[in-house]
Amino acid sequence: MVSARYLFDQLFREEWRLHARLFGGWRFAAFPAFLALLAAGTATFFAMAGSETETLLAGLHVVVALVGLQVGSIGLVGRDALGDLLGDVTLLVYSARTLPVSERRLLAVFVAKDVLYYALLFIAPLVVGITPLVVLGGLSVELLPRLLASAWLAFAFGVGVSLLFVGLATKSRLLAALAGLAVVAGVAVRPAAVVAVTPFGLYTDPSAVRLVGSLALPVVAATVGVSLFEFDRAGQTRTTRNQFHRLTALFGTRDEQGLLAKSLLDVARSSGSLWKVLLSQGLVFGVVAVLLGYLPDILVGVQPSPGLTLGSVLALGAFTTYNWLCQYDDTAFFGTYPIDLAAVFEAKLRAFLLLAIPAGGFYLALGGVVFGPSSILVGAAVYVPVSVYVFGVTAYVAGLRPTELLFDTPVFMLFSGAMMAVLLPLVVLAVAYPLAPGRISLGATLLAAAAGLFGLVGYRRAGPKWTERARTGDL
Amino acid sequence: MRLPARFYTIQTVAPDVTEQVIRTDGLHKAYGGVTALDALDLSVPAGELYGFLGPNGAGKSTTIRILTGQLTPDSGSAEVAGINPVAEPVRARERVGILPENGSPPSFLTVREYFDFVAEARGLDSVDDRVARWADRLAFESKLDTLCTDLSQGERQKTLITQAFLHEPTVVFIDEPLTNLDPIIQERAKQFFQTYAEAGNTVFLSTHFIATAQEMCTTVGIVNRGQLLDELDPRTLDEETLLDRFFATVDADAAAVDSAAPADSAMLAGEE
Repeated sequence: MVSARYLFDQLFREEWRLHARLFGGWRFAAFPAFLALLAAGTATFFAMAGSETETLLAGLHVVVALVGLQVGSIGLVGRDALGDLLGDVTLLVYSARTLPVSERRLLAVFVAKDVLYYALLFIAPLVVGITPLVVLGGLSVELLPRLLASAWLAFAFGVGVSLLFVGLATKSRLLAALAGLAVVAGVAVRPAAVVAVTPFGLYTDPSAVRLVGSLALPVVAATVGVSLFEFDRAGQTRTTRNQFHRLTALFGTRDEQGLLAKSLLDVARSSGSLWKVLLSQGLVFGVVAVLLGYLPDILVGVQPSPGLTLGSVLALGAFTTYNWLCQYDDTAFFGTYPIDLAAVFEAKLRAFLLLAIPAGGFYLALGGVVFGPSSILVGAAVYVPVSVYVFGVTAYVAGLRPTELLFDTPVFMLFSGAMMAVLLPLVVLAVAYPLAPGRISLGATLLAAAAGLFGLVGYRRAGPKWTERARTGDL
Repeated sequence: MRLPARFYTIQTVAPDVTEQVIRTDGLHKAYGGVTALDALDLSVPAGELYGFLGPNGAGKSTTIRILTGQLTPDSGSAEVAGINPVAEPVRARERVGILPENGSPPSFLTVREYFDFVAEARGLDSVDDRVARWADRLAFESKLDTLCTDLSQGERQKTLITQAFLHEPTVVFIDEPLTNLDPIIQERAKQFFQTYAEAGNTVFLSTHFIATAQEMCTTVGIVNRGQLLDELDPRTLDEETLLDRFFATVDADAAAVDSAAPADSAMLAGEE
């Protein structure tokens, strides 16, 4: 029987090669340093803004636990989901049926590999990056090893919980939902008691009991999750009436090749249906709403315009809508039909506007209810053109493979830089808004309009650019 | 065994066998430092079922991608149905049908919706009758309203074959069309391809299956290292099988490369 150590080594190497390929070869070696710098910049910014060190460390634990949740779920939800994220890949973890290794054993080694791999290459750099708090936030150097250990455990906690819920869901989605509700209820009713059993509780108040709990919880959760997981679930065959025909009839000459109808059906029929557009923007709204609520406490005296802030950040969040629209597309597919890629991008823009405007409009209206209607109009005036900017930049930079290409560090930096170039001035204007609402509204609207025009240029150039890349075999 | 006529009945076009429907001249394509096509010259008249045979990496898929306007060659020229696919790729794809190797129909359209999409993309009016004929021919009537993501590999292949012929093109490029099909459907598909070519259309078949090529094709081109090494009518072979001829041709090419390498080295040494 093949040893667990051998499997571990092979899976570890596979993970490295996968990332190295995604990030562009040797560039991946620099990624931990990039993460450390990112964490250092964030910690420095908030520390200089007067944030509590304890709050920032709690935030670090939350972030690494969320990374753990993501890492724990992606390997298990299946190769289709992984394919959606990375393209056509087959990992060793899916090869149990052709090898004399049990699926459960292979999965257990896969999870152990993930925990060690991410702990070293992702979590450790984040902890290293937070060291400016030693100077700026009074963080004791002696606490750093404990912080590293608790961050690793928080990551393992996320992985374990994720495995537990995925395992539960394969048995019964209702059971998984009820377990999720129980956790949420526990956090709401007795937050301190829940935090005490997490690795952050171990960091803030170390004790032997909490150490045992923090070590045991991920192991128990992962073990239960893996043992519950059903590997051979029969998929349900889905049939449906011809909605494509109805949509093309509805759109008429605005969708002569059926590309708009296809894009909308791809989003509507894939996991999460059209709700995922609303939900992903809901997460953005939630984070911005919390920040708008607490920012005056963190940064004393700062009360940014809710409408302008929401409009700008929701527009950035519309990137996910572009991602949903392209998730199931492939340049090679369109290359077998008399379809110009420029027409594909045109259909994507229309579909994007059809989905992003109602979603953004809903949350801007909700923002008006929560924060008052005063600046919501300027938020709306900014949201649409900046969304077009996000669309145009993404289409030009990443084409029809936004997720995959954004793993490429230089491409990601180009994309991030383009986003920041518009978002940062808008955030500054949002902060300055109370000083001169009228003039700042006008300035923000003009800036957004200019960005929208720039986005249209990017969109117009995306078709020829990606056609050229495809035809030279450079994709 | 001849199958019922409904499985292969098609519209006949008057073939002009003197017309070269597919033509390449000195086609060259390299990916980085790897040469995929090396001065490839091809000429396929109308009404042929042309088998393009070669080992892995011989340049078969690259040739099809250039001929269908999906890829630009580094040099050389190409013409398909009177159109230059390099200069007018979209127009070339209007005229031809393409069955890509390892293709997949769109996951979240049903089979029927996918054919509607193909019809829209190609500017066709209703294709319901044609779809019904193909569903009967390849036996997938019960799957027409199933999402493509839930189809088996064989059902996906049937769907992809259908879309390539839906607009009844005069030139069709089919890459490994029989993959994942059961023997009955393979037989129906083979007879259809033959009848389609006999009706005056051109079917360009890329395959690794030598027996299939021998059985179906009117002409076979053997390609290796991006060059056309041999061309023959497999029906004229007597004792020798196409498999023998294929191995002999490819082995001779490999031997020629091997023997040229030391000579080149010696020449280089002499120059030094």
